Amino acid sequence: MARKPKRDLTVEEQLARGPLDLPFTMLVLMLLGIGLIMMFSASYASAYYENGDPMVYIKRQAILGALGVAAMYVVSKINYQTFRWMAMPALVGSVILLLLVFTPLGVSHNGARRWLRVGVEFQPSELAKIAVILFFAARLCKRDTEKRKRYTNRTLTGRTLNRLEYIGFLELVPYAAILGVIGILMLKQPHMSGTILVMAGGAAVLFAAGIHLGWFIGGGLFAGLGLWIIIASTDYMTARINLWLDPWADAQGSGYQTIQSLLAMGSGGLLGRGLGNSMQKLLYIPEPENDFVFPIVVEELGFVGGAVVLILFALLILRGYWLALHARDKFGALTIVGIITLLATQVFLNIGVVTNLIPNTGISLPFFSYGGTALMIQLAEMGMVLSISRQIPAPRNE
Amino acid sequence: MVENRSQRHKQDAVDRNRQSKRTVFRRSLALMLICGVGFFIPLLARLWDIAIVHHDEYQQQATQQQLMDVTVPAHRGNILDCNGQVMAMSATVYNLILAPKDLVASVSEKKFTDDDGNLDEAAYQAEIQRKRDEVVDGLCAIVPDLDREKLASRMERVNSQYEVLMTQIEEEDAQEIREFIQEHKTSYYLYLTPSTKRYYPFSSLASQVLGFVNDEGGVYGLEAAYEELLKGLPGRVVTGKTAQNIEMYNSYSNYIDAINGYNITLTLDSTIQSYAEQILEKGIKDYDVLEGGFCVVMDPNTGAILAMASSPEFDPNNYSAVVDSILQGEIESDTSTYYEQLKAQNAQASAEDKQTDGELMEQAKALATSAARETQWSIRAIREPYEPGSTFKGIVLAAALEEGVVTESDTFDCPGYTSLGGWIIRCSNRSGHGHQTLAEAVQNSCNPAFIEIGQRLGLEKFQEYFKAFGMTEATGIDLPGEESGLNWGSDMGIVDLAVASFGQRFTVTPLQMITAFSSVINGGNLYQPYVVQSVSDSNGTVIQSSEPTLVRQVVSQETSRRARTILESVVTEGGGINAYQAGYRIGGKTGSSEVGLEDDHTLVSFMGFAPADDPKVIVLLAYDRPKANAPHSNYCTTGVYIGGGSMAAPKAGELIAQILDYMGVEKQYDESESAAVDVTTPSVTGMTVADAEKRLKNQNLTYRTVGEGETVTSQVPSAWAAVPSGSTVVLYLGDAQPEATGTVPNVVGMSYESAKNALERAGFFMRASGTNTYYTNASKAQSQSIAAGETADIGTVINVQFVTTVEEGSADIEWIN
Repeated sequence: MARKPKRDLTVEEQLARGPLDLPFTMLVLMLLGIGLIMMFSASYASAYYENGDPMVYIKRQAILGALGVAAMYVVSKINYQTFRWMAMPALVGSVILLLLVFTPLGVSHNGARRWLRVGVEFQPSELAKIAVILFFAARLCKRDTEKRKRYTNRTLTGRTLNRLEYIGFLELVPYAAILGVIGILMLKQPHMSGTILVMAGGAAVLFAAGIHLGWFIGGGLFAGLGLWIIIASTDYMTARINLWLDPWADAQGSGYQTIQSLLAMGSGGLLGRGLGNSMQKLLYIPEPENDFVFPIVVEELGFVGGAVVLILFALLILRGYWLALHARDKFGALTIVGIITLLATQVFLNIGVVTNLIPNTGISLPFFSYGGTALMIQLAEMGMVLSISRQIPAPRNE
Repeated sequence: MVENRSQRHKQDAVDRNRQSKRTVFRRSLALMLICGVGFFIPLLARLWDIAIVHHDEYQQQATQQQLMDVTVPAHRGNILDCNGQVMAMSATVYNLILAPKDLVASVSEKKFTDDDGNLDEAAYQAEIQRKRDEVVDGLCAIVPDLDREKLASRMERVNSQYEVLMTQIEEEDAQEIREFIQEHKTSYYLYLTPSTKRYYPFSSLASQVLGFVNDEGGVYGLEAAYEELLKGLPGRVVTGKTAQNIEMYNSYSNYIDAINGYNITLTLDSTIQSYAEQILEKGIKDYDVLEGGFCVVMDPNTGAILAMASSPEFDPNNYSAVVDSILQGEIESDTSTYYEQLKAQNAQASAEDKQTDGELMEQAKALATSAARETQWSIRAIREPYEPGSTFKGIVLAAALEEGVVTESDTFDCPGYTSLGGWIIRCSNRSGHGHQTLAEAVQNSCNPAFIEIGQRLGLEKFQEYFKAFGMTEATGIDLPGEESGLNWGSDMGIVDLAVASFGQRFTVTPLQMITAFSSVINGGNLYQPYVVQSVSDSNGTVIQSSEPTLVRQVVSQETSRRARTILESVVTEGGGINAYQAGYRIGGKTGSSEVGLEDDHTLVSFMGFAPADDPKVIVLLAYDRPKANAPHSNYCTTGVYIGGGSMAAPKAGELIAQILDYMGVEKQYDESESAAVDVTTPSVTGMTVADAEKRLKNQNLTYRTVGEGETVTSQVPSAWAAVPSGSTVVLYLGDAQPEATGTVPNVVGMSYESAKNALERAGFFMRASGTNTYYTNASKAQSQSIAAGETADIGTVINVQFVTTVEEGSADIEWIN
């Protein structure tokens, strides 16, 4: 298709050809570069001793990383307004895929049925996260134009419905239903960490769209209470909490991973042992290429290296929200808020776990952890942010 | 109105839109602060806390698990004899270690878990068993005599990380095991660790002096005494390792080299040591000796020990085994003694403490075996004081000569006993030696004469010399566990003096005795004996070297010379005659002493030195308890008179001759000796008898003729044969021809002349040995080199060993009041 001259373009089309946000792009590429190098370093020993080939993880990760960057670029070229209508099919598709996991197409690893094998293996939950965000953003951006529903005051139901509509409950029902369906499907896999992230992404969009704070406070209290009851009543969760409080109580058993992570970071000191010189990756930390890349980063590059990575993430997140604040419309703003909050939550939960700030949840670190399809989807999401950034009007020189 | 309303509606919508946009902006800003700043503050704080605040603590823990600290054993130093022959050396051997726990861990449960997390228990266990069988099969193939079942049972100790499967694996097997480990990738749970093993190439040679090494290091002998120098300092290799104990040689590796132990060079000469041990062995066999013996050979001019042998001996390569047949017999008899004792004790024990007969037997056997081991590990020359007996007379002689209380011209009368303070002390010769010079009194080993000499010295002087000769304190030799004998201390009485003058009723160690005797004959100097010549590091640099240590001069040069002359006459003319070796001037003194209060327990000894004019070697040889052929008999079961002169002297003489030969000391014959030296027969065939006689006479040979005629047609022995001078050559005249062979007659028990005649009549020649040329009627042939009744070529020279029975005995002391 021949490229149309600029004069034939609609205003929207012209806007969609705007420039990429350079700071955001650079931050993504820097984190991806550092992430690939550190994942290679962290995985070297385990790949060598377990697979005989030290390159086995980095090869796949690098290829999918490159594909991811391409995907990011392609997605950024799409006019993000098309995501509005794509949100609904994406959500429906995600639910179908999540259901497909329980058919013979699903694949189990370590006792969890989270993967679908269709040529490549991937987690449908990755798609569900972004589908939820898009759907919520697409719907909530029109919130101010929606008329308040009125029911007859003559019947009790009508009055109750009016009452519920008045406090904003009815508005929340579809969102709660979607989160409930997806949450239940994912908990069945089981996939606790994925569920947390879907909830976080959805909640962020709801929050930003202006849902009354009371619902979040109430929901937060409700979730906290539920969690507390679960923790207090199930041995498994109690053990997990105790483990978090004192990993040394079972240093060779369940506390092993946390302790090894702390030892890795602790022995890094200010400047670290030097790139490639980690000792803890020599089979001490189990699967350092997955959730525990960051301890290896700190062991090799020290507090300084770890802090640089954290600051880069912080800058990426701040820049992301900055783009949301300047987005051309509410849909763009809410989409970015959802995507970036998802990213921030993931970073916080991962680093929080490896530093034993919070109990273990099993969440990977974006751009660093091994997992090719997840990385690709992550980069595609960044592409969406960039696509929205293209339509930010250039500041007028006045 | 309508327009107005729609206007208001529009305005409303714009307001709501703006309102909503503001809300989104505010809420996004709040999230921005929470996620972009709020999240990272605790994370950075936590990171600071871990990486900076707790850095040291965590690093220490990490280092502890990441480093592998392997000790590199130091090479234990060698022990060399004075010629650099290796007597003890170390080699690397290996221990094989299995970690049954890690073997189980090496089988991944994941592999046998299906997608739903169910473990296929049977397949999982089968894989573990397969790995176990692989190891058992592999090891049994390499080392066939392994106990298969025991090995299999150790595999199943799944909680153990450290099972020592084999120890002391030699390099060959170790190599095969290493290949097996590599091939089957079992290094995670099966590995070799280096260790060292001590080898004694001469096996039992000088075993007690060398001692031996067990797991803790040297425990006996030199190995124990020089432990600190020999063992060296172990090194370390510190390397990084993976969690699966695979070494990682990287920049964290650190090597500290092991410092090898020092080598120790001894004054012992392995050749002389082997002569000494052979002569001990030979005497023990010849005289049916029950409790072994000892032999010390020393350089009298320095105190350097050339040989120190004890019997029974052991093999330090396998130090707990009892190999000596006499000791084995002792274990058996002791076991039954212990068993009876234990059984008696057991009978009194309460019911629950009662043990079965089998258990008692085992205990008894263990007790007897450990006693036998202690015996075989002991260096008798420094550990077991004995009564020196008449050998001590040499020391009394020197003291008396030094003090001037006797001279060579003094005479002594021996009535066969001395009565003293109510005691009767008998001489070995019950009928008395009669009138004798000083030299004769020493030759006869006359007790009354020495009692008199002792009394002339007096208590004070005697004790002074006793002390000066080092009899009251250990010599200070560089061997562990040296003892000193027992004596009367300050309570010495007149009877004590009398018996002490001939070496009884006090004890000294053999080493004290030989050291003192050395000073008598070496010019009066008492040296501290030593066995370690030098200590050198593994490059051969000597770091410590022994010099002779003069303790004191006890008697003068002149006294020493006079004592030597008298002691030489003991061998040439007196009780030491059996030690005589033609060509060597040997001096010495015999000794026989009762041991303890047991009947028929005599220790026979001989202290000899040579050459008498300039001693180069001094030997103390003793046999403990030759078995008497009947209670209170003076003869042992092999028919030899029990006494130092008849038993120890001939063996010591033989030993001294061997040592002097080895040392390259030239033989010097006096006139009568050269008569007995071999000569070469001239060719006289074809000559007239008269010419032949002349030529034979030149060579100090006589002749007899066989047949009729003028010309010698044949001769026995043929020309250029070696026969002892004085032999009778047979000349065949005319048609007479010698027989080719003849039957050897029996000459054992004959005197010198009759043996010579008997052999020559049969067409053989005799070469006499074993005693001097003053063959008296007391000299009897003891053995012949070709046994009686055998056929031998006519003209063969047959060696005949003569021995002179020297009657002697320890003094009987009777209380007659």
